[in-house]
Amino acid sequence: MSAWPEWLNDNRDTAALAAMLSPTSPRSLEALAAESRAITLRRFGRTVTLYAPLYLSNYCSSGCAYCGFASDRKTPRHRLEPEKIRSELAAMKKLGISDVLLLTGERTAAADFDYLQRSVAIAAEEMPRVAVEAFPMGVSEYRTLADCGCTGITIYQETYNRERYEELHRWGPKKDFIDRLETPARALEGGIKSVGLGVLLGLSDPVEDALCLYRHLRHLGRRYWRAGLSLSFPRMRPQTGGYEPPFPVDNHLLARIIFAFRIALPDSELVLSTRESAAFRDGMAGLGITRMSVESKTTVGGYCDNEESEEQKEKGQFEISDDRTAKEFCAAMRAKNIDPVFKNWEPSYNGASATIHHEKEADRSATPITPEAEPCH
Amino acid sequence: MDVLTLGSYTFSSRLILGTGKFSNSTVMLGAVRASGAQLVTVALRRFNRQQAEDDLFGPLSAIEGITLMPNTSGASTAAEAVRAAHIARELSGSPFIKVEIHPNPQHLMPDPIETFEAARILAKEGFLVMPYIAADPVLAKRLEEVGCASVMPLGSAIGSGQGLATSEILNIIIRESGIPVIVDAGLRSPSEAAHAMEMGCEAVLVNSAVAAAGNPAVMAEAFAEAVAAGRKAFRAGLMEKSGSAVATSPLTFLGTY
Repeated sequence: MSAWPEWLNDNRDTAALAAMLSPTSPRSLEALAAESRAITLRRFGRTVTLYAPLYLSNYCSSGCAYCGFASDRKTPRHRLEPEKIRSELAAMKKLGISDVLLLTGERTAAADFDYLQRSVAIAAEEMPRVAVEAFPMGVSEYRTLADCGCTGITIYQETYNRERYEELHRWGPKKDFIDRLETPARALEGGIKSVGLGVLLGLSDPVEDALCLYRHLRHLGRRYWRAGLSLSFPRMRPQTGGYEPPFPVDNHLLARIIFAFRIALPDSELVLSTRESAAFRDGMAGLGITRMSVESKTTVGGYCDNEESEEQKEKGQFEISDDRTAKEFCAAMRAKNIDPVFKNWEPSYNGASATIHHEKEADRSATPITPEAEPCH
Repeated sequence: MDVLTLGSYTFSSRLILGTGKFSNSTVMLGAVRASGAQLVTVALRRFNRQQAEDDLFGPLSAIEGITLMPNTSGASTAAEAVRAAHIARELSGSPFIKVEIHPNPQHLMPDPIETFEAARILAKEGFLVMPYIAADPVLAKRLEEVGCASVMPLGSAIGSGQGLATSEILNIIIRESGIPVIVDAGLRSPSEAAHAMEMGCEAVLVNSAVAAAGNPAVMAEAFAEAVAAGRKAFRAGLMEKSGSAVATSPLTFLGTY
């Protein structure tokens, strides 16, 4: 199937969001901030949940114009082997991290599904919560990852403007707009408990993209009612390859987008990474953002080498703007009266989620209590 | 003496405090102390044995006179909640378990089917089961039948601050229940807590209303006073409202036809 899906034209509830996002909106940024803050405080309290990324591999088979790891870039390629993954996770644990996002490029022979599955299983032994931001997979692959302890999948559409998408994704599997669009649904179908959606702000008209992002999230929420849904607001940063974003998003517009989404979606996690500056992140904590990365490295590995190795001198996927240590970041949060929460998940909740959506009538009872799943190998 | 009885445990305080959402554990502990709560709930997912600074369980277990009630928040099925309850009992030593199963992490509404199943299993295993449920009188009776120590219907959605939006149905649950009814979730102000107690709830549980208050410790104290006042009023017997009045003495003096 390659048709534009009907749900991307669904205008239920989008008018209010569009009005808040419009640069000519009658609502001042201050008024939006106040409402966003009040909703966040009621629903999430004075807390922000922390995670950190671990780049497993920078091999890639796609040619995304904006990405530092695109397959035509002359950047050295590596992948972390199991021993190295363990030592990286140990170094992350020393920082307090207990929620890890494992990343790879698009699917390659060097970093394929088996490699990813083994890596997830290793990470799930060490960390209470493991999520993955990698290549699009099939339903059964997602189910396998869920059974190995993967709780969340992050998959950004980058832009919902199909023409821009075709231009930017020059070759490789990521070129298939519709396949990517359908990936979060496959993850949820496979029993992944939560998915993170996002657009890469700067690639296309940000207001159009924001409205499509909202439609995507609402579509998934209606279809997969158990799904945890989060949204990220990554903004193009200078990266390897030197791509200049054609639709730059300034601080005011980014803030407006975040506040508007918090008001439109009072219960969803909103994520902000270390792409953003310390000042912007500190300012946004408590105003709408509920989840942040800390002390991120965007090179492959990078947590456990003390001396400047050759690897560390390489450029990562994108440049980090907030390069504070986890300790410094937490001190800044505490100074704002916000509790930085490292562990906010219990690994005994891991395993594929029920997707009663498609179950037969006869199965429609409480989820059967079964002995613990066999460990993954 | 008027006490809250849950299984073989008795508590003079009828305010139960939740421990998430606070700006730090010092503020949280201050609120717990100020509330006079003897029963506090803590999410298993916030137990962190790796890192003391991130752990809610350690500091709470150090307070004298507090009974901990771990909760299964984050579980989306009965199986997950049962596993969590076993781990929580092992770590905390508490016989209490607040069964909290909300498969949709957005609105956090409890799943009645999974909750019933987990409660049935855990009650049989000897836990003092405190299930968080929607305001559903039939489910409340079903949970009573399988041996729960209480039922904890919501006043309104978690973190909504909409107060006792379910009060009409809560009244049915309270009237019919043979086990303590504890309003859990949705309360914003002490007056709402007092109202719940006047209606005949045996206790209330609050978290957001205290954690998100300007001064959590003072708000915790205000809730404690409101709960005590509401309980006293319930025991004293409220005057009938106009429209619901019955004659003060039976009409036997009229004789029979």
